[in-house]
Amino acid sequence: MSKNILSVDDSASIRQMVKMTLAGAGYGVVEACDGADALGKARVNSVNMVVTDLNMPNMDGLSLIRELRKLPEYRGVPIIFLTTESDDEKKKEAKAAGATGWITKPFKQDQLLAVVKKVIG
Amino acid sequence: MGAGDPAETFRQEAQELIEQLEQALLDLEQTPSDRDLVDSAFRALHTIKGSGAMFGFEVMAAFTHHVESAFDQVRKGKLQASPPLVALALEAQDIIKSMILEPDIDNSSREKALLDELSKLVSAEGETAKNGAPAAEAVSAPSQAQRWRINFSLARDALVMGVNPLLLLDELRSLGHCTVTALTDLIPPLAEIEAEGSYLRWDVVLTTDVPRSVIEDVFIFVQDDADLSISLTDLPGEGRLGEILVDRCAVSRQVVEELVAARPPLGEMLVEAGRVAPEVVKSALAEQKHLIREQVDSAKEAKSSASIRVPAERLDELMDRVGELVIVQARLKQLASSNGGAQFKAVAEEMERLISELRDTTMTIRMVPIGSLFSRFRRLVHDLGRDLDKKVSLVTSGEETELDKTVIERLNDPLVHLIRNSIDHGVEGAAERLAAGKSGEGEVRLEAYHSGAQVVISVKDDGRGLDRGRIQAKAEENGLIPPGAKLPDDELFQLIFQPGFSTAKEVTNVSGRGVGMDVVKRGIEDLRGTVDIGLRSGGGTEVTVRLPLTLAIIDGLLVRVGMGRYVIPLPTVEECVELSPQDDLRSTGRSFLSIRGELVPFVRLRDLFASPLPPDPYQKVVIVSLGDSRVGLVVDQVIGDHQTVIKSLSKLHSSIKAFSGATILGDGSVALILDVEHLIEWVMEQSDVALLEAGE
Amino acid sequence: MEVLTLGLQDDIFALEADIVREILDLVPVTEVPNAPLFVNAVINVRGRVVPLCDLRLKFGMERRPHTRDTRIVVIEVPISGEATIVGLLVDKVYEVAEIAADSMEDVPRIGLRWSPEFIRGVGKRGTDFIMVLDIQQIFAIAPRSVDLTAA
Repeated sequence: MSKNILSVDDSASIRQMVKMTLAGAGYGVVEACDGADALGKARVNSVNMVVTDLNMPNMDGLSLIRELRKLPEYRGVPIIFLTTESDDEKKKEAKAAGATGWITKPFKQDQLLAVVKKVIG
Repeated sequence: MGAGDPAETFRQEAQELIEQLEQALLDLEQTPSDRDLVDSAFRALHTIKGSGAMFGFEVMAAFTHHVESAFDQVRKGKLQASPPLVALALEAQDIIKSMILEPDIDNSSREKALLDELSKLVSAEGETAKNGAPAAEAVSAPSQAQRWRINFSLARDALVMGVNPLLLLDELRSLGHCTVTALTDLIPPLAEIEAEGSYLRWDVVLTTDVPRSVIEDVFIFVQDDADLSISLTDLPGEGRLGEILVDRCAVSRQVVEELVAARPPLGEMLVEAGRVAPEVVKSALAEQKHLIREQVDSAKEAKSSASIRVPAERLDELMDRVGELVIVQARLKQLASSNGGAQFKAVAEEMERLISELRDTTMTIRMVPIGSLFSRFRRLVHDLGRDLDKKVSLVTSGEETELDKTVIERLNDPLVHLIRNSIDHGVEGAAERLAAGKSGEGEVRLEAYHSGAQVVISVKDDGRGLDRGRIQAKAEENGLIPPGAKLPDDELFQLIFQPGFSTAKEVTNVSGRGVGMDVVKRGIEDLRGTVDIGLRSGGGTEVTVRLPLTLAIIDGLLVRVGMGRYVIPLPTVEECVELSPQDDLRSTGRSFLSIRGELVPFVRLRDLFASPLPPDPYQKVVIVSLGDSRVGLVVDQVIGDHQTVIKSLSKLHSSIKAFSGATILGDGSVALILDVEHLIEWVMEQSDVALLEAGE
Repeated sequence: MEVLTLGLQDDIFALEADIVREILDLVPVTEVPNAPLFVNAVINVRGRVVPLCDLRLKFGMERRPHTRDTRIVVIEVPISGEATIVGLLVDKVYEVAEIAADSMEDVPRIGLRWSPEFIRGVGKRGTDFIMVLDIQQIFAIAPRSVDLTAA
């Protein structure tokens, strides 16, 4: 059974690149353009993992992570956030909100796939 | 937005973002304290920078970084959005725009000037932006193997936060020879356990030549909240338990030596004597095993890799015995779960694991990838093309598909003949091809793949295809069918496999003597397979050979339809959903489910199988897929995973397309294995019909 | 010639003994949907999935419920050139008997209750007439592809 990943980013080009990379490796991809959109999609899709940017309109990444962790079916689902800085503070915040891990932007396709594999196998 | 170049998408997106930035900045000039505008500007800069870096605009990204940092300071209240800052930002925005849309223009002097101004402005009021480039890691790489002791435990809520310790352990295993011990000493009594809490600790002994940083990277996401220790150990090879414990500072050498003098195993005694915790002994014992295995492994490597010849019949017998073991083990498992005490169950589980490993090992013994056969054909195709003055290329896929060695050898002749046929009769000469609008070079395609309990090998060409008229005429001439008989295509084409059948106008040296196809068919049937020939939708001929796998063990999903139980091959199963009452209300057997916005046709297996019993109240739908097609199979009950040996159906049942084989369940009864490929095809056809009828 | 005598409905038939592998009591039977009625089930014989044929259906006899005498005779027979293990559902198994080969008579054209095409000949055992089954003929027709849509 293929694994599904929820990809959240307000940048269409990043979403496109993430989708191409993940779909090409056999993962199913559900896309959302901001936190609110993602939360709606998260409720109706069953996914094995979430990849989200932090800076987005309508509901930013940190709020999304917190909201997801309130949903019972998202307990145990890995949530990876995208961060452009090696900003430890942001990472701490995100982890406190319930994130599992991160990827620093800019990232190459291989790096994305490596993190996905690390986190859902 | 089409599936285009992401860099192009970025350019378009960047233009929008730049516009957004410009608007925000212009408005900010008017109302410098508007937080939303600052946020908007920041976000735009942030996205432009992030995406830009990913799509090749590194210089631009580095430049934007500084501006973004400045705005970050404004967001945090450490800097004011003063008119000079906004003015600088607007100019920066121009530069960024130019960098993206006019990559040939050199903006470096403008860039530098602006950055100087910016840094003056920013340092006057707040912190300057830090350079975000991460320091290069100093990688010290000892390239010989070292042994590490790794101990870790995770934060209590790690599992809830999506951490999977099994994956961490798998990552460690991928680095080298690894022995893992799970320590359970921190698990609280049942009443105190949080259901989703993480209480286990792991001791890992890892022999690897990767540097320490690689090991640390495994834990990169968890190290802040986890208890982690990684240390080198250089105990000599024949680690004795006492040595290991002393090395770990678990006990003093003197105590160890005292007690060694007595008889019982050291570990036991130490625990008895309360000197060492049982967990530590357990872990040290594992390390000992690890060391011993290392020695054995290195001894093995020292010898040249040996292989031995074994008569095939012995392998056959071995595989039969393994097959029987798998079946008996399934019964044992069933007995254990219904009758057994905890000890019995534990043993049954251990047996299951051992037999699973045994089966994996034996299955691989005789299997050989078909690529070894395919590679021989390249020369054949080349020579044939040359002899017949035709341009032909051979394309292969599925070389890694494995088949029993003897089967591969016996496939050689039939495949050679089929390829010869394709090139001789199917593929046209260059001139004729060009006249027909095809490329001058013909293509012969060899494909192999597993489908359920079968291996499918197909030989396809893009030549002139089969001539129905000629075949009909020849069949009538040979008395195979009465004149004027109307047969469906697949039956008509099967006649090609009759002895003495050849429609070639001239008999070439290469083939067409009329002894070919019937020999091919017999050869395939001797392997208990089937062969079909037909037309390809784009033009050309396709010959499909299906062979049963000799000893195949299937991972399947056991389901119940009426009174019968059936197995659906697990690799084809995507998910199981419940059939909602609305979907169920439709009266015909061909209906659609909506799953995540996609229409999936489904079929009620009870209708297909004419099950006389009334349906269960809550029907389940198993969604299966092959390639791009997805179909739902409605069953009364999904029973669970089931793993057992595939048995072929006899000739009396082998033509029933719905089933590709049978398997024996734990209670000794038989379950039929569904041929998912055929079912999907059938349902898709029916649903096409339904769509047509519905006039969509 | 050694034969195994068996009962189908009220008559006695016989099979060549050398194709008989074993005789089983009734075992759980798994129906095969969409199979021809004559072979619409399979059984597990020592880990092997074996088709079960109801001989009574070949002769157009009615299907009676199973009794304590019902047995499954497992035979090995070539089908389309391949040796196949098949189970035959019979009402009763009598014994292994000897029929003098030369006492076998051709099947009479008339007067037989059952279709003659599946009977090789008629032998005599004591005072009884025993119809010797033509197993080759019974399994001679290789079934064509059965579509799911066919009943």
